[in-house]
Amino acid sequence: MWLPLMGLVIGVIIGLLTDIRIPPEYSNYLSIAILAALDTLFGGIRAQLQNIYDEKVFVSGFFFNILLAASLAFLGVHLGVDLYLAAVFAFGVRLFQNIAVIRRILLTKWTSNGEK
Amino acid sequence: MVGAQKNFYFSVTASIIGFMVAIQFQTVSEPVNRDTRDTWELRNDLMGEKELQSELLQEIRMVEDTLTKYESEREMSKGELLKETLEELKIEAGMSDVSGPGIILTLQSAMNELGREVPMSYVSPSLLQRLINELNMYGALHISIDGQRVINTTVIRDIGTVTKIDGHSLNNLPFKIKVITKDSEEAEKLLKRIEISDIVEDFFVDNLQVMINKPEEDIEIPGYQDTIRIRYMEPVE
Repeated sequence: MWLPLMGLVIGVIIGLLTDIRIPPEYSNYLSIAILAALDTLFGGIRAQLQNIYDEKVFVSGFFFNILLAASLAFLGVHLGVDLYLAAVFAFGVRLFQNIAVIRRILLTKWTSNGEK
Repeated sequence: MVGAQKNFYFSVTASIIGFMVAIQFQTVSEPVNRDTRDTWELRNDLMGEKELQSELLQEIRMVEDTLTKYESEREMSKGELLKETLEELKIEAGMSDVSGPGIILTLQSAMNELGREVPMSYVSPSLLQRLINELNMYGALHISIDGQRVINTTVIRDIGTVTKIDGHSLNNLPFKIKVITKDSEEAEKLLKRIEISDIVEDFFVDNLQVMINKPEEDIEIPGYQDTIRIRYMEPVE
């Protein structure tokens, strides 16, 4: 449980320490990639809580979603349509759903634990 | 074991996400200090920048001025050089007036035994040419005959019965032959050599007397008046 949080903190620290800056015109892609990654992460947590977690699905979903979101944004830029909004919408909705499911599962677990 | 692997994947994923978030954060939060200047401050800043700009413009103008000065100087010097060369060539070709030490020969009719001048006989072109050759041999730099400059392309010939030098008739005696040498020493030498030369006797055969004057310090010889026509010369490719 604590290891993923540690990983997150380590990632943030590394990112801040390396002082990498991407050009502002690419920050759109990065933001949508972050969204996709978060979506996958929460999806993975939910799957684990529901005991349907699959490692391959998780890892492939992680990278595939990031690539898909970035390419969608790229396509949108070149077509003149804000296609990344579609990705943002999709991922945002999924993110909320996932978090809601996680919350419910945790709630039921907590209440069942409390009843015991 | 399985849980550890799961945790590992989650950790890696989470660290990647953290990394991306950090980068995004750094990228987005680029302007750390917000611009809180009001209109007046902005105005002042703008004025400062404008001053800087005008200073820079002035500098640029100065540098450009210097550049054009240099350029024009270079052009000028080129022109000067060309002019100098032209002058040198003109002197060499005999286009310009020259002055310097030399001697003056006067050609006049010879007296006969009775002390009278014999009637004017004409000056033979071949004799004149020989005289010029001898003068050149003895170190003459510039020669004029009766005020007519002798240059490389000068023609001396008789047309009809009149000897002409570059179209100028030599029909009234006496006339002067001016010779300029390098220096007065050379002039002295030239004088001696002319005095002992046969040419004077040759002139006497034609009833002409060559009066050889003392070397002078400053003799003026006019430049060649006509244009020099070059027919059989081309610049080398």
